[in-house]
Amino acid sequence: MTHHSTLKADIHAAARMYAEEEKSGKLSRREFLTRATALGLTAPAAYGLLGLTAPTPAWAQDKPMGGTLRMQMETLALKDPRLFDWSEMGNFARGWLEYLVEYEIDGTLRGMLLDSWEANEDASQFTLNVRQGVTWNNGDPFTADDVIFNITRWCDGTVEGNSMATRMSTLVDPETSQLREGAIEKVDDHTVVLNLSAPDIAIIVSMADYPASIVHPSYDGGDPSDNPIGTGAYLPEENQVGVRQTLVKNEEHSWWGTDVYGGPYLDRIEYIDYGTDPSAIVAAVESEEIDATYQSSGDFIDIFDSLGWEKSEAITASTVTIRFNQDSEPYDNRDVRRALMMAVDNAVILELGYNNLGTVAEDHHVCPIHPEYADIGPVPVDPAQAMELLEGAGYADYEFELISIDDDWQAASCDATAAQLRDAGINVARTVLPGSTFWNDWLKYPFSATEWNMRPLGVQILNLAYRTGASWNETAFSNEEFDSLLDEANGIADAEARSEVMAKLETIMQEEGVTIQPFWRSLYRHYRPGVMGAEMHPTFEHHHYKWAIES
Amino acid sequence: MLRFLLARVVTMLFTALCLTLIVFALTNLEPNLEKVAKSEAGSRISDEEVVSWLERNGYGQPTLVRYGEWLGVLPGWQIEQADGSVRGRCIPIGSDPEIAPDFCGVLQGYWGESTVFKQPVSEIISRSLALTGKLMFWVMVVMVPGALLLGVLAGMREGSRTDRSLSAVSILTTATPEYVSGVLLITIFASSAVGLRWFNGSATSAMEDANFVNFTLPVVTIALYGMGYIARMTRASMTEVMTAQYIRTARLKGVKFRNIVLRHALRNALIAPFTVIMLQFPWLLNGVVIVETLFNYKGFGWTLVQAAGNNDIELLLGVSVVSVFVVLVTQLISDIGYVYLNPRIRIS
Repeated sequence: MTHHSTLKADIHAAARMYAEEEKSGKLSRREFLTRATALGLTAPAAYGLLGLTAPTPAWAQDKPMGGTLRMQMETLALKDPRLFDWSEMGNFARGWLEYLVEYEIDGTLRGMLLDSWEANEDASQFTLNVRQGVTWNNGDPFTADDVIFNITRWCDGTVEGNSMATRMSTLVDPETSQLREGAIEKVDDHTVVLNLSAPDIAIIVSMADYPASIVHPSYDGGDPSDNPIGTGAYLPEENQVGVRQTLVKNEEHSWWGTDVYGGPYLDRIEYIDYGTDPSAIVAAVESEEIDATYQSSGDFIDIFDSLGWEKSEAITASTVTIRFNQDSEPYDNRDVRRALMMAVDNAVILELGYNNLGTVAEDHHVCPIHPEYADIGPVPVDPAQAMELLEGAGYADYEFELISIDDDWQAASCDATAAQLRDAGINVARTVLPGSTFWNDWLKYPFSATEWNMRPLGVQILNLAYRTGASWNETAFSNEEFDSLLDEANGIADAEARSEVMAKLETIMQEEGVTIQPFWRSLYRHYRPGVMGAEMHPTFEHHHYKWAIES
Repeated sequence: MLRFLLARVVTMLFTALCLTLIVFALTNLEPNLEKVAKSEAGSRISDEEVVSWLERNGYGQPTLVRYGEWLGVLPGWQIEQADGSVRGRCIPIGSDPEIAPDFCGVLQGYWGESTVFKQPVSEIISRSLALTGKLMFWVMVVMVPGALLLGVLAGMREGSRTDRSLSAVSILTTATPEYVSGVLLITIFASSAVGLRWFNGSATSAMEDANFVNFTLPVVTIALYGMGYIARMTRASMTEVMTAQYIRTARLKGVKFRNIVLRHALRNALIAPFTVIMLQFPWLLNGVVIVETLFNYKGFGWTLVQAAGNNDIELLLGVSVVSVFVVLVTQLISDIGYVYLNPRIRIS
């Protein structure tokens, strides 16, 4: 079995250190696996360091071949993959566009188009070993040049909305916003070396993120389904935005992964759009129009359970941020933000907004499951002081407007927040927008709720959403001290040392009142009995080659 | 007759012109254009970038000029870019500006591109119209015979128990809007809350393969609403005919009641309902918006909701034109049909 070929005799020193931390309880097993595999260990080797055997994957013989799986999902218009802003786009494109690495449900990373990778001592240089024997579905061989082509595209910060440039910031020349001279070296046709400008522990993990689809050098930047050249096992058949997107197995193409990981099993995958109203999805389930939900949420989890469907749960660092945009009055006033934060009890929002299907968070967007999490305690709940702060700032009679999407749990969480604010004597109006209009302006609303998917490392989300000028910085938060501390944290490979810096970052988040971040969600998906391998994934990834269905 | 037809066609064009102008003006208000710019060029762009994006994409000219371009009576905008290449409304990306036509609007058969669906408007509208056509056809098949039967039965003997109970039913169905009856029907017949689960509460699969299970509820929801109204009209017309002199004569002559109704009364009683049925089409379009959204059936009504919700200017305009056309054509047919049914009426 070729996927064991990367087991190395010399195991990265940091990985051994993480293993010690895991054993002494400083690191959870999930975090350990993420971090150790990010340093280039294979999953079995990482499990080996803990004295465990890796769970054996389900192989071809247990899964039936053929069949069609229909999943409910919002079917969005595709664009250049590096501009993807929704997992759904990535999930459809995943049929034919693959990734260098893949983030597994248990928190490990494994190579897809990369066979393996190694980091140097301080995680400032990575050697990527490109998988041998991979071909594009037009017959071209997949080589180091394709990897370099894609990383170069990711690093182009001049493209509006390219979120990969932020993820690859240690490869980018800040002067030109392009790939830095000498950042990539091609060693041979199947080996690439990345020279980072600063240690960056998240760079490999970032290559598993959904905008990091690997495209063919002939790709021209339009809808990738128009001319679907990719390495994947499926091809798009139908792409009707808002209606349906379908993938069919590409019979002409011999997919590299069949020998390595098994699959693909399904002949056909259909994504059907039912909008954002969960009751429409219940109707679809009861009508047997779908075999799996994209995500089940809130009250509807019990309903799907009662219909006899199987539930799959993923524990995650996904959340909703009820955030303020500091560019808009009155949220440019720190006291106002702090006051609104103090007036709400996050536990109540979790209970009313999300049926307690998660854990209470502490308003700093770093989750206890992140390796570098530091426990600095929650923001105290004190409605009386909140009112005093507002009076001091001169906004006691101001009517705040809290905007949310019409999605069930997000609207409920905002309702719970608004109700608590009203209990504290603050005027709040609620506005609920349909999903089709909400996202047009999500970065601009003065006070609104946004759903955030998890990232495997705590620094990743801070880099994406709270660094000055980051492309998804919806709070307009700009703080020099925060940015420099974040740079520092990005270079510390040791979780314990990083968590000291993280404690400062978390404190700034709380003291500056950047966002109300009430809880961490568990994610759920339901599918009908007979669906296999389509378990819920913490970052919503669909690994089509694992999916199967009993007819 | 020809003059009449001509007058009607002119009215139709004029109405379409007025309506699209209104829709065009509303969708092109400043904040709506800003929304378009942001959804196209990224939601983070600054106000200056919004202005320059609008300028670069032909939104900078006066509304009336752009309306003319959309119609195809004014030449489409052309803008020379920094690198010397020319972009324009009538120049598809990647094609040679030299060979592009000057005019490209509705008159030339170009309906524009939908910003939400990233497809030509004409494609989306024909797809959704076909779906709605299917729905309408089955609605008519259920509604018209049902309503006529109800109306005739009720109107045969005015004031009888049958009349009272059937009238009550038809008033009830007409008085219940689709968004109420649809939800009730789903709860009763499709959800496991009641447990009947005879039909599907979602009509998504009916888009490809409509059958009794997945298409009944949307069809019935729309049909029930229209049915009551047509039944009431039929009943009124039937009772009027049943009191006419010639019916009394027939009864005195000893003709069987059955024959009186079928042979003598029915034809005359059906003149009024015919107009009403034709006038129901515009109303059905109305109901289609609600029912298609409720049952997640991606036809014309659903498209209208998406276009309006996303300020998809060209799609919304296309939808408006088609709606005007449907309303006025059905009225025209009803007027002409009326003449043939009732020879006493002359058009001119």
